[in-house]
Amino acid sequence: MSSHQSIDQSREVKPSSGAVKIVEKQAQRRIFKIIVIGDSNVGKTCLTYRFCSGKFPDKTEATIGVDFREKTVDLDGEQIKLQLWDTAGQERFRKSMVQHYYRNVHAVVFVFDVTKMSSFENMPQWIEECDRHNLDKNLPRIFVGNKCDMKDKIAVNTNLAQKFADSHNMPLFETSAKDDEKANHVDAIFMTMAHKLKNAKPMMSPHMSRYTPGETREVINVRASPHHRGLQSINPNEEKTDNCAC
Amino acid sequence: MSGEESDFNQSDQNDWLEIDPQTEIISVISPDIVEPDVIPPKTEKDDKNKNKNLNLSPGSAAKRKKILRALKDGVDVSELQSFAINRGGLLTNELRKQVWPKQLGVKLSEITPKPDEDMLHGHRDYDQVVMDVNRSLKRFPPGMDDDERFALQDILVDVIMRVLVNNSELHYYQGFHDICVTFLLVVDEDVAFAIVEKLSQKHLRDFMDADMDRTKHMLNYLYPIIDKASPQLCEYMERAETGTIFCLSWLITWYGHVLNDIKHIVRLYDFFIACHQLMPIYLAAAIVLYRQDEILETECEMCFIHSLLSRIPDNLPFEQLISKAGDLYLQFPPEDLASEAEFRSQENDNRAKRQRANGVAKLHQWSWRNNIRWVSTHMPNYGRRHYLLTTAVAAVVTAALCYSTTDWGWIEWNWF
Ligand SMILES: Nc1nc2c(ncn2[C@@H]2O[C@H](COP(=O)(O)OP(=O)(O)OP(=O)(O)O)[C@@H](O)[C@H]2O)c(=O)[nH]1
Ligand SMILES: [Mg+2]
Repeated sequence: MSSHQSIDQSREVKPSSGAVKIVEKQAQRRIFKIIVIGDSNVGKTCLTYRFCSGKFPDKTEATIGVDFREKTVDLDGEQIKLQLWDTAGQERFRKSMVQHYYRNVHAVVFVFDVTKMSSFENMPQWIEECDRHNLDKNLPRIFVGNKCDMKDKIAVNTNLAQKFADSHNMPLFETSAKDDEKANHVDAIFMTMAHKLKNAKPMMSPHMSRYTPGETREVINVRASPHHRGLQSINPNEEKTDNCAC
Repeated sequence: MSGEESDFNQSDQNDWLEIDPQTEIISVISPDIVEPDVIPPKTEKDDKNKNKNLNLSPGSAAKRKKILRALKDGVDVSELQSFAINRGGLLTNELRKQVWPKQLGVKLSEITPKPDEDMLHGHRDYDQVVMDVNRSLKRFPPGMDDDERFALQDILVDVIMRVLVNNSELHYYQGFHDICVTFLLVVDEDVAFAIVEKLSQKHLRDFMDADMDRTKHMLNYLYPIIDKASPQLCEYMERAETGTIFCLSWLITWYGHVLNDIKHIVRLYDFFIACHQLMPIYLAAAIVLYRQDEILETECEMCFIHSLLSRIPDNLPFEQLISKAGDLYLQFPPEDLASEAEFRSQENDNRAKRQRANGVAKLHQWSWRNNIRWVSTHMPNYGRRHYLLTTAVAAVVTAALCYSTTDWGWIEWNWF
C-alpha cells in the first residue's frame, strides 16, 4: 500500500462519458495510517470522531468491524493526511476480524476508559495483539485514558496508568472526547503523533510501500509528573498545548 | 473437500424438478389473477379506505389481499415466503406481525416465559448488551419521546438476554442488537423474542459461535460472486486489498446497522427470513456490482474503497437489488462457489499466518467438516426438503421478476 495519494483533480469526469480522464498530479500527499484499539465502549469512536469532525458525536453506535476516518493536517506547511482506523472493541472481532487492518500501520493508539478498571487491565492483551500481528515494536504508540470529564468516577489512578505506559515506552495522555474544553487536547494528541511520524522519516520516497522505522529514531516518551501531566508538543510554536491535569 | 461434505445448502436437482416453476411464478407475481375476497370487507368503502390509509397502490392492495387470504387459509409457508421475497415484500407492518412468526414456525401460544431478572442480568454478555443498547439511539424513530424510547431499550435488553439465557451455546455479538431492535419496532416483546430466538438457531446461528470463523467464512463467498459477475471489478477490488470487513455489518445485522430508513430495513428482513442464510452476501454482491462505476473511479486503495462501500447510499433501488441478489443466487448457487470460498479462506489464513511470523496463536481453520452441522441444525423445523423447495421457488420467482420487468415504480411503502 502506498503512503501517498495523488491529488486527482478530475474526479467529476465519469469514465462512462467517454471523456479522456485527465489526471493532474498536483502533489504527492503523505498519508499516515493510525490504528485505534482498546476495549468496547472506551470511546475510540468518539475520540476519532472528535478529532476528524471537531465535535462529540450525539449518537454513537457500537462499531462493527472497522470504521475509517481521515483528516488532513498542515504540518510545517506540508499537507499530511491522517487515516484513523477505528476498530471494534468486542473480543470476538479483535480475535478474527481486524487483522487485515494491522497491516501497514504507522502508529497505534491504545485507548482505555479511566472510569473502568477492566479496560485498563485488558491493555496487556491489546499490546499482545499488536505483537501477534507482528507490528514493529518501534512504531509510535500512545496510551490514551479517555472520559476524564467524569471526575467523580475515576477508577484508574494516574500513577498506575503512567507506570504501565512507562514500562511500554509510551506516552500517556488523559483526556476526554466529550468535554468541549478538551477538544484542543484531543487534537494535540493526534498532532503529536503526526509530528512524530513526519519527523521520523521526512523524505519518504513516493513509492515506499511501508513506513519502516529506522533504528536511530527516538521513541516518543512524553513524561510528566502526575501534577503536570499531558502533552508536550514537538514544536511548541506550532501546536498550542493544553496541559490536561485530570 | 468431497462432494457430500459441501455446503450451506445442498440443493439437489430433484428438489427443483418437483415443482413447476412456471406455475409458481404466475400465481405469485401476476396481478391479474382474479380471486375471491376471502376476508370480506365490512363494506366496499371500508376496504378502499383501509388501502388508502395504508397508502397502498392498486397492485400492492391486491397483493395485500392475497397475503391476508393465505394467512386465513392456513399455513402454506412457501406461499408466504414468496410474498416476502417478491416485489414490495410483506408491504406493511400489520402484515409482518402476522407473517413473520408463520414464516419461522413461531407458535404464539408456546413462547417460553421470561426468566427472572437475576438470570437475565447474570449472563456473561449482559454488560456488553447494555453498552450496545445504550448506544442504539439511532435505531429508534426520530420522533419517539425519550421515556418511550428508554422503556423500549429496557425491553430490548430483555429480548436479547432471553435468547442468550435460553440458548447457552449462543454467544452475543455486537450487531445482534441491531437485528433485535428491528423486530421490536414491529412486533411485541414476546413475539420479538420468539422470532429472534428462531432466527438465532437458523440464519444467524453461524454468527453466534464463540469466535467468528464461520462468519468470516461466509464473507468469503463475496468475491467469488463478484468475480463471476464482473471479473474486472473483482480484480480491481482485490488489487486494492479491499477485504470483506466493509460488509461485515451488512451481513451480521442484515443491514440494520447501515441503513437509515427503517422501511428499507424491514423490507430486507422479509426477504432474508424467506431465503438462504447466505442471501445477505448475495445482496452485498448486488450492491457492489451496482456501484461498479463508482468503485472503478475510486483510487485503487483499500481505504478509499472501504470507505466508499461501507456507507450505503439511502437512495439505492432496493427492489431491483433484491431481484439482482436472487438472480445471482440462482446463477451462482452457494454449492458452486464453495470450493472457491474455501480456497479464499485458506489464503486468508495463510496470509494471517505469514503476517504473524512468530505464530503465537493459531487461527481455527475452517473446515467443511465443521460445516456439516449447518445442514442439520440450520434447517427450519418443517423439514429440509421443504425448505429447499421454498428457497428454490423463491429464487425462481425472484429471478423471474428480475427478467420480467424493469418497472419498479408501483411499489409503495407503508410505515407507522
Ligand atoms: N463522559 C464521557 N463519555 C464518553 C466519552 N467518550 C465516549 N463516551 C461515551 O462512551 C460510550 C462509548 O463510546 P464509543 O466511542 O462508542 O466507544 P468505542 O470504544 O468506540 O466502543 P466499540 O465501538 O464498542 O469498540 C458512548 O456512550 C459515549 O457517549 C468521554 O470522553 N466522556
Ligand atoms: Mg466504536
